[in-house]
Amino acid sequence: MESKQAELELSLIKKMMEDTRKLNIDNGIHYIFWGILVALGLLINYLMLVFKFYTKYIGFVWLVMMVSGAVADILIGKYQSKRSKVSTYAGRILTSLWLASGVAMFIYGFVGSFSGAYNPIFICPVIATSLGISYFTSGSIQQLGWLRSVSFGWWAGAIVMFVFPGIHTLLIFAIMIIMLQIVPGLLLNKKSKELFTENA
Amino acid sequence: MNYDYQQIDDVIHSRIRTAIMAVLVGTDEAEFNFLKEKVNATDGNLSVHLKKLEHAGYVSVKKLFVDRKPVSKYKITSKGYKAFENYINNLENIIKSNKK
Repeated sequence: MESKQAELELSLIKKMMEDTRKLNIDNGIHYIFWGILVALGLLINYLMLVFKFYTKYIGFVWLVMMVSGAVADILIGKYQSKRSKVSTYAGRILTSLWLASGVAMFIYGFVGSFSGAYNPIFICPVIATSLGISYFTSGSIQQLGWLRSVSFGWWAGAIVMFVFPGIHTLLIFAIMIIMLQIVPGLLLNKKSKELFTENA
Repeated sequence: MNYDYQQIDDVIHSRIRTAIMAVLVGTDEAEFNFLKEKVNATDGNLSVHLKKLEHAGYVSVKKLFVDRKPVSKYKITSKGYKAFENYINNLENIIKSNKK
């Protein structure tokens, strides 16, 4: 084999690997799904508090929503994984990151408040802080600077909700979920569709 | 610097097989049709090359049914990783030895 041929082969390998690396983009479906579910939960929670409607069942409503959401999410994940043409290591790391993040949020949300460790109103800023970590890591794995920057929005919101707690915290968190979770999810979905069309 | 050209791995040393390995090394697993699109090969041609890599133990295949259609998913093995790494090192050595 000649040096020129070896150089050509190396450049081909590099190109193929770079093309595959671009596929390490999340399709955003889970962001959108959880975003809609949590925003809906927050709105229901807010209305139950404002109208003093079965307020003692708020925790139960959340438990039912989150558990059924987790089951639906696992089914969506299985469906997608079976039909996806390719899966990447970055994708596997992202799944682990969000799974671990979900478990942590479940503990903060349910165990933390039911045990009486803190006032349930502080669940929102605690979860926002945790989401900031996940967004920062997720953006770094996918090499998406804008997604990493979303974490600063989560952390800034968490500070506001810690310093100024109240019933309005639920609405602030709902707005944050829409702006910092559903919108990025839609952007990721668009980007992922474009990439797969390019690579098809 | 002299370089032993016989060190080049014949299993990987083919345009299509090199491309297949380059795609698989960056993925967890890839479907047959995805590989076909990426390496621009026909079904028959790709099957032959994948069989060669499979027989060498460089890739493993998982066959399943999705919506009643058969689907084959390919994955690089640890032996395949090592072989591909050696192959790249050998290519780099050839370039270096020719530059001296």
